[in-house]
Amino acid sequence: MRPLESLRLSWRSIRGHRLRSALTTLGVIIGIAAVIAFVSLGASLQAGIIGDISPDDQRNLYGWAADPDTEGGPLAGAQFVFSQNDLDNVSELEPVEAAYGYATIDAQSITYGGETRLQGDGLIAAGPSYIREGSLKEGRQFQMGEREAVINPAAAEQFDENVSVGDELEVTIVTGGTETLTVVGITDSSEGQSPFEGFEAAPRIYVPTDPFYVDQAVGPAAGNGDTDVDNGDRDVRFIAIVVEAPSADQDDVDRTRDAAIAYFESDQSDASEFLGDDLAVILQTSTELLQQLEDILGLLQNFIVGIAAISLVVGSIGIANIMLVSVTERTREIGIMKAVGAQNRDILTLFLSEAVILGVVGAVLGTALGLAVGYLGAWYIDLPLVYPFEYVVLAIAAGIGVGVISGLYPAWRAARTDPIDALRYE
Amino acid sequence: MGTVGDAVEMVDVRKTYQIGEPVHALDGVTLSIPRGSYTAIMGPSGSGKSTLMNLVGCLDTPTSGTVSIDGQEISGLSDRERTTLRGTTVGFVFQTFNLMPRLNALENVALPQLFRGVSREKRHERARDLLGRVGLGDRIDHQPNELSGGQRQRVALARALVNDPAIILADEPTGNLDSETEADVLDLFEEFHDAGTTMIVVTHERHVAERAERIIHLLDGEIEWIESLDESNSSSASDSRGETKGSEMGSNEGAIDHNDVARGDENGASTSDDGGR
Repeated sequence: MRPLESLRLSWRSIRGHRLRSALTTLGVIIGIAAVIAFVSLGASLQAGIIGDISPDDQRNLYGWAADPDTEGGPLAGAQFVFSQNDLDNVSELEPVEAAYGYATIDAQSITYGGETRLQGDGLIAAGPSYIREGSLKEGRQFQMGEREAVINPAAAEQFDENVSVGDELEVTIVTGGTETLTVVGITDSSEGQSPFEGFEAAPRIYVPTDPFYVDQAVGPAAGNGDTDVDNGDRDVRFIAIVVEAPSADQDDVDRTRDAAIAYFESDQSDASEFLGDDLAVILQTSTELLQQLEDILGLLQNFIVGIAAISLVVGSIGIANIMLVSVTERTREIGIMKAVGAQNRDILTLFLSEAVILGVVGAVLGTALGLAVGYLGAWYIDLPLVYPFEYVVLAIAAGIGVGVISGLYPAWRAARTDPIDALRYE
Repeated sequence: MGTVGDAVEMVDVRKTYQIGEPVHALDGVTLSIPRGSYTAIMGPSGSGKSTLMNLVGCLDTPTSGTVSIDGQEISGLSDRERTTLRGTTVGFVFQTFNLMPRLNALENVALPQLFRGVSREKRHERARDLLGRVGLGDRIDHQPNELSGGQRQRVALARALVNDPAIILADEPTGNLDSETEADVLDLFEEFHDAGTTMIVVTHERHVAERAERIIHLLDGEIEWIESLDESNSSSASDSRGETKGSEMGSNEGAIDHNDVARGDENGASTSDDGGR
């Protein structure tokens, strides 16, 4: 018998039992859909995160001090140990391009041109080079010690009249008082600049740690302009730091990391008094930080793929079960076909193709459903959509595999049915 | 082998089933059915009719003895070869029609050719032609459940004929039909017999059997007697079984009986070969 003919005949008997066939394929559909949905979501998530790491960012080392055994992303278990003094000294080290603290300052709202907008995310305080020259659309970086700010397009466009370089913003600080900032630059993208911030797009305002963080950390922003030199610097501690290597080259990054950690652990640093067995300095690049995230993501994905695989096994059992029922039900038909000259192989092919059709239909529908869910999910959390096409091929292969495995035994039983008994079967 | 030999030749055929004690469904049957003949097989239930039919239909092999269908000895064939022989040489007609429920009349008739790898156009052309000949040219796309019993049996007959078989083997073909449609179907049988097909009808109804040229009466796995209907209705059957076998060999049609004797010897030799395997 020609292969196409057996497919046609099998399709006919599947269509003869629409509901039963649909329910049977459901197990496969759910399994495949789960895999495809999570894999495409995972791929989209990865692409979204990695796509956000600019090449400039790759030479930055993000640091904090925490128990080395602590697991969980950036800043998990971090303590305030880094003094401005330490950071200044680290910047002086030969393999270090720059070092500065990173902090967020709780702000309540921003006022511009008489309009007030809430700013729950606060201000981001860092060193000037935190905003790369290359990621500025207009203006320049802010300078240390000045009441200046760089804002991103989302922050600039939230007012009726767009904020532009040179304008002044009034910021209400949670701990009290207001600050007046002069906007000196606008970035080219509203997405975060580093893993500390997260990468999603949001209105952000970047300011120098001095004076903004220093003032906040020491106490309520008492006087505006005059920074009390005696008091501030030494007592201010940062929870997070950024150390920049001269280039994104892995060797440079490693040398910078080694030098910075060696300094922090030496007695000359202020941080060293806190460091010990249960508190160590961690310095990682975005890629390394994301690696952790990706590992977690990968683990989660494997877990879900595992569950989906179980669903596929259940699906195969469903197909096998229904095929066995079908073989018994159609015993007489098998007898007829054998009487008119069907070989055992023809019967085997017929039932096997039926199981394979069920498997493949399940795989195709499951893939479509999975892609749809993945698409919706990616759209919902605003990620670039990545379709894992190799998984689509894999899914179809899995469908065929499920069909063959679950159909083999029933088909074999059908093929070996004795035509005499089968013709007598009621 | 082609056209050499009779349509069916059986020599000392025994079929034994082990159901607790051995049951001899056929117990030393020797008979020959010439090409182009019309034979009825009668007997009470348990007489071995079905077993005989299964052997003629290449569905089964004998425990001992030889069965040749269209000149081919079947016990020496593999399952696959027997299936091929069955598909090309024997056309089945069943009491319960046995049509495929989800296929329409045309597809049912074309089914045997599907398993021979005949192209769709060719098989459908052939099936359409045959359905026309059995008077169902306007019913080709009806499913079996949309057809009456007589129509179904005519579809089954067309299906039996589709591979141009040497033998049509009908098992109680009119058992599920009323007398009017029964007559129609039997008329068709006669028509195809006249066209040269060997007809074998298993029945327990006398008037159906009387359409044939001769009736083989089975009882307890043996041929009780063979009734020839050619010359009037004189059932010149003898009483003893020994004489019955003799009469089969001697008195029916001279030419064929000669063959029978000669072939019987050959096959006897091959039977002992079988025994040695």
